Amino acid sequence: MVAAVLQAPPETPLAQARRIPGNKGIWAGITCEFVEFVVLFTVYFVARAHFPDAFHEGAQRLSLVSGTVITLLMVTSSYFIACSVNAMRYGRQRSSLGWLIAGLIIALGYPIAKFFEIRWNLAHDINGSSGIFFTVYYYLTFNHLVHATWGILGILWVLARMLFQGYSAEEHSGLEALASYWHATDIIWLVIFPLFYVLA
Amino acid sequence: MNTKNNLFLPLTATWLALVALTLVSLGLGEWFRAANWLPLLVAAIIWLKGAMVARYFIESHRAHPFITRLLRVFIAIAPVALVLTAFFGDMLARWASL
Repeated sequence: MVAAVLQAPPETPLAQARRIPGNKGIWAGITCEFVEFVVLFTVYFVARAHFPDAFHEGAQRLSLVSGTVITLLMVTSSYFIACSVNAMRYGRQRSSLGWLIAGLIIALGYPIAKFFEIRWNLAHDINGSSGIFFTVYYYLTFNHLVHATWGILGILWVLARMLFQGYSAEEHSGLEALASYWHATDIIWLVIFPLFYVLA
Repeated sequence: MNTKNNLFLPLTATWLALVALTLVSLGLGEWFRAANWLPLLVAAIIWLKGAMVARYFIESHRAHPFITRLLRVFIAIAPVALVLTAFFGDMLARWASL
């Protein structure tokens, strides 16, 4: 359905001038990702409306340091990958490769930070059955981690293609598709962070 | 480095702004924990950060109208829901009860 929408003929000169970052397939995937997280956010807000005290107290028990570190890792890796696309557009392939590797290294910090956060949680008796707030927290953040893992695998694939000169200034839609997915996953985390760690 | 049409500077400025907004929201959570207006400000920051990533990293303003609308709607959903939950939480809970 999304592909059908994207294929609809543009009606105005403005629409004709606009483009699809990456390719249609990745935007079908990103649309599905957004729909999934809209459902999860609905669960969050319904639970928050029913149990405001549990959400107020629960957020104070989470590791603010972990949430902040993951946020900084996400925005920084997103920035590095945007710089990789920017460099490739101007034909600077080595520079693009360097930015992508930097983006990958920073992105790998996310699962590592999450591992230490879970260890910290368990040491403080926080698990999936610690209350409604923590059930929603684990459900949402683990889902995001799964999506980020797909993104990291995507970075590895794009990196492999880049090493074999798979992209050029003229054709780098695969790199742009990966960047679009990673930025979308970044936007989702930028919503999750304040909902669980800031609004205590 | 060719800066004529290069987006390096706007991208870097966006990244710095995202880091700054993250640190500001940490301070808000600590200093104004009990303030009634905190959810309103947090909602504004969520929207602003999402809009910045969409515009400068994804270049949504140059993207196909479907993509522009998709991002615009998704970025607005959580802030709107946060404000509604903060100020009309009881009503929302009643509507969402079985």
